[in-house]
Amino acid sequence: MAKREIGSRKEIIADNDIAIHVSNLSKSFKLPTERAFGLKQAIFNRIRGVKGFKKQSVLSDINLDIKKGEFIGIVGRNGSGKSTFLKTLAGIYYPEKGEIIINGSLIPFIELGVGFNPELTGRENVYLNGALLGFSRSEVDNMYDKIWKFAELEEFQDQKLKNYSSGMQVRLAFSIAIRAKGDILLLDEVLAVGDAAFQKKCEDYFRSLHGNQTVVLVTHSMENITKFCDRAILIEKGKIVLDDKPKIVAKAYKNLWS
Amino acid sequence: MNIPHVFNKKNRVLLSELTKTDFKLRYQGSVLGYLWALLRPLMMFAILYVVFAKLLRFGGDIPHYPVYLLTGTTMWSFFTECTSQGIQAMIIRGDLIRKISFPKYIVVVSATLTAVINMLINLAVVVIFALINGVTPSWTWLLVPLSLVELYTLALGISFLLGAINVKYRDITSIWDVCVQALFYAVPIIYPVSMVASSSVIAAKIILLNPIAQAIQDIRHNLITHETITTWNYLENPLLEFLPIILIIFVLVFAALYFRKKSKFFAEEI
Repeated sequence: MAKREIGSRKEIIADNDIAIHVSNLSKSFKLPTERAFGLKQAIFNRIRGVKGFKKQSVLSDINLDIKKGEFIGIVGRNGSGKSTFLKTLAGIYYPEKGEIIINGSLIPFIELGVGFNPELTGRENVYLNGALLGFSRSEVDNMYDKIWKFAELEEFQDQKLKNYSSGMQVRLAFSIAIRAKGDILLLDEVLAVGDAAFQKKCEDYFRSLHGNQTVVLVTHSMENITKFCDRAILIEKGKIVLDDKPKIVAKAYKNLWS
Repeated sequence: MNIPHVFNKKNRVLLSELTKTDFKLRYQGSVLGYLWALLRPLMMFAILYVVFAKLLRFGGDIPHYPVYLLTGTTMWSFFTECTSQGIQAMIIRGDLIRKISFPKYIVVVSATLTAVINMLINLAVVVIFALINGVTPSWTWLLVPLSLVELYTLALGISFLLGAINVKYRDITSIWDVCVQALFYAVPIIYPVSMVASSSVIAAKIILLNPIAQAIQDIRHNLITHETITTWNYLENPLLEFLPIILIIFVLVFAALYFRKKSKFFAEEI
């Protein structure tokens, strides 16, 4: 097996105005060609000299600087590499080539309600999810009531999560997530959850972030891009093809299909 | 994975929450709940006791043979539960690994800690049975935790190593199941070492070089009866006596390094 090259990802605290610096970032996945899971197939492939996988390039040569306090939107078609880019920034995937420097504390919301377990009560899930977001038990104690109040689900605290509707689960998850305090927020399609009244609350929350925090938002909603972002980039086939004002990028995105 | 990072507050909180969750979920929805943590090893003991102590009359010359046997089965259950949970941990928690960035070893440690909790409950039962059976408390009881740490270290090492391979090749789970079956007969749990020694001294010595056997025999020696044959009182060569411990340290260090190297890619491979 060829030795994999590895890029680097560093988290630093430095006193300059760049929040995220990305240079020459590339990433590819090995996709198994046959059902290569399992030892038997791996051994056969090695004997026959077949590579059990195909290399699929997902991100190629991405260069990007995001300033502190910037609200930046990332758009692109399905499979263009936006989520992979976000996950690589978040440190979930390892950069294959290139360099990522994160300046400040990072809070990734790749998905709401990570670790939620249907067999546990709402209360237990809050503590578990809180721990996954990096809160200590006493920190969760302090914000416990606020979480339930924001989610408007106070009376369901001791119910098992499996008895919640999916909308209620997302509302609870969102209420926990927004308690996280950090310098840089990474958001993947977590806007607009719940009913109209709850969406209004979410919107107010995102407005409050504006200017105070660095936010990287991945979304398909051009409405959100133009509403919240100061800057937007369009990713196509793993490359940044446009980096401009939200309105211009939103227009280019719509033109992808025409 | 530098040392201060391993024990920082955020990771400790995460470890304790995941362990609590694992423990709560283990017996979720069963009528007897946590009691199963006690009942399972006791039932296994009952079967082995009837077959080997009563029908086949093993261990006639060992004092307190029933608790001697119970100690062995309890520790064996601990080892197998620890490794099987640890190896599976990454698959079971794949959801987390794919969605957040955190040190992956936490997943393995939290899964094995559930087995540690179960073992401690069972050990309390063993002690009660030992007292009922007429075992007199001795200062050597204080040495038992050392052997428990040893056994846990080995189980953790195996979990790190095989767990990391299991992410890519799920066959490991099945292979390890078979290995565990074979190991059960290689470790003197149901048969006394003296029985092997009576036909082959060399075989008995080889058996005692197995770290699992060494730890279990030490626990029996220190907890139940000082007549237990152990690695320390049976092997003459001092270098060989330390082989099991060296083996455990080697497995843990190698496994931890391997795990650290591979863990960067778990999120995309799982």
